[in-house]
Amino acid sequence: MGSNSLSKISSILFSVFLLFSCSSDLNFDQVNDFKIEPVFVANLAYFNIQANRLIDDGGTNVYPDVRDFDVFKEKFFNERLKKAEFDFEVENNINRAFVLNMLLLNDQNEVLQTISFTVPSYKGTPNVIKYPTEVFENARLDLLKQTQKIGFVVVIASGPPLNSQSEGNLKLRSSATAYLVIE
Amino acid sequence: MRKALLLCLFFHLFCFAQNRELLYNFTSIPQSSLVNPGADVSYKYYFGFPVLSGISANVGSSSFSAYDLFSDDGVDFNQKVRDVVNKSSSRDKVVTNQQLEIFSGGFRIGGRESRSYISFGLYQEFDFFMFVPKDLALLALNGNRDYIGKSFNLGDLSMKAEVLSVFHVGFHKKLNDKFVYGGRAKIYSSGANATSTKNSGYIYTGEEPGTPNLYSQVISSNLELKTSGLSRFTKDEYEGNVVRDIANNTFFNGSLGFGIDAGITYYIKDNLQFTASVIDLGFVRQTKDIETLTYKGIYRYNGANPDFMGTDDPENVFDEFDKAIPRDTLYNKYTTWRPTKLYSSIEYSFGEARPDDECNCHGKVNKYYKNATGIQVFAMSAPRTPLFAITAFYRRNIFKKLDFKATYALDTFSNKNVGLGLAGTIGPVNIYALVNNVLEYKDISKASSAAFQLGINFVFQDKE
Repeated sequence: MGSNSLSKISSILFSVFLLFSCSSDLNFDQVNDFKIEPVFVANLAYFNIQANRLIDDGGTNVYPDVRDFDVFKEKFFNERLKKAEFDFEVENNINRAFVLNMLLLNDQNEVLQTISFTVPSYKGTPNVIKYPTEVFENARLDLLKQTQKIGFVVVIASGPPLNSQSEGNLKLRSSATAYLVIE
Repeated sequence: MRKALLLCLFFHLFCFAQNRELLYNFTSIPQSSLVNPGADVSYKYYFGFPVLSGISANVGSSSFSAYDLFSDDGVDFNQKVRDVVNKSSSRDKVVTNQQLEIFSGGFRIGGRESRSYISFGLYQEFDFFMFVPKDLALLALNGNRDYIGKSFNLGDLSMKAEVLSVFHVGFHKKLNDKFVYGGRAKIYSSGANATSTKNSGYIYTGEEPGTPNLYSQVISSNLELKTSGLSRFTKDEYEGNVVRDIANNTFFNGSLGFGIDAGITYYIKDNLQFTASVIDLGFVRQTKDIETLTYKGIYRYNGANPDFMGTDDPENVFDEFDKAIPRDTLYNKYTTWRPTKLYSSIEYSFGEARPDDECNCHGKVNKYYKNATGIQVFAMSAPRTPLFAITAFYRRNIFKKLDFKATYALDTFSNKNVGLGLAGTIGPVNIYALVNNVLEYKDISKASSAAFQLGINFVFQDKE
């Protein structure tokens, strides 16, 4: 075996090992640009009030309920929430009109915001009302982030009295959409 | 968050497949007996240059490369992350293996005519194996809004990692001109282990008619992470040097285990050789600083549900979640199985030669073959399904003390993995260098896997 071919082979090998150092320009600083913007949807609230539970004399009456709503206590979520949307859907099968108020309360039970929906009375045809999306950004979002409780106030407008034999129900379904920015 | 991601990428970059197709049956390198204790290796005695006798690292990612993420091409980094996630599947894996030989040596036992050998050594090893958690990456990147009706599979989470030291003693014997067998006993000392391979569950958001709420939202979780040697570092009181402490545990205070290697070489004909080996058939009993975290349970999210009945039913999302899917910590010992490797090869030699460059004073003619070619197969146990590779190789004896080997491997990570290796001996000094995936070395950053191994030994043969 000649030393010629040996040097040829070793120079080929050597150059292969030299190629070791070749690499495209990589820029690891790009990690600093890392930013993801996931969008999550979740149930917000629902209820289903049966007419026969609303014992009522025919005048204007108020039914309140307050629920804990503590998701904003979670710091990771709170700090990264850039926008929120609430969607509401109400179905009324009771022949009375309602006003539905949703109150966002802080931990001192102070009202931060009130969202109101007018619900017409049932006229015999199915009526599912989808309300315009409530959008929370900037100052309104800041108020939302202080929310620790949600109050629901159902105001029943005057009309035919209800009793334990009354039929129909008032249903609320709602969802929240959270736009997060994580960087 | 960013730290975690960086760590994740760091692992990706240092991932190698464990197949050592270049080293296998490259018998002019004493370390080839680490992948086949029955390799036809002979010496009077040898020892490895401390810490430099065997350095190897291996990275493999079956779906993406460093270039895909970090190329300086002006494309938005987040878009690149998105592209990588989108083109990955939950069957894609990221594998790393690194080994560093601390010391090694061997000697022939019996007289000059004996062909029995003892070898021994200590090496440190790091293993990492992970499947790409595609569903969870999608959920984190995009949220659930555009995936109504989809179950994000928590079973996609599957990983294991281990740092350990291995002390081994082996024996091999060339029974006759046709047959060599060998075996090795190994004591493992595991400094740190994390195993999370038996996960299941899902995160689901769906719209189901007939249900009162807008969405059905369910998290069904059966997650388990077992660790050993790691929990002390997660405590607030810990004020040490993590790397130093893990190294210390790895060599002096690890969880112990035991394993064996075995292998044979058989010459069917003078120039037709068959070999087979099993490596790391063993386990580690994880006993030191053990901690198992579990998150098991089912949680349904309904939002706020007023009933206007004046009942005070406190609804606390986080408390309810913690109650439904509690974080439990257990302190049970557990056993991990080492990734077991199987190798086999068939080799055909040709180009008979005689060492005419040297005076043969004994009058005994040591003919040998200048060329060898053949096929090697490799399999390794892994979570879910084993990894396989098949390799065609060509080895040439360039001159008496210089051997060259080229391989072409098909495996999980690449179908054009060409490897080149060179082993030479100058006097007693044996130097070798093996590089894998050389076609990708023209731009290493685009390689989906890469491996190299190099080392220096001192090998002494009988004087002729």
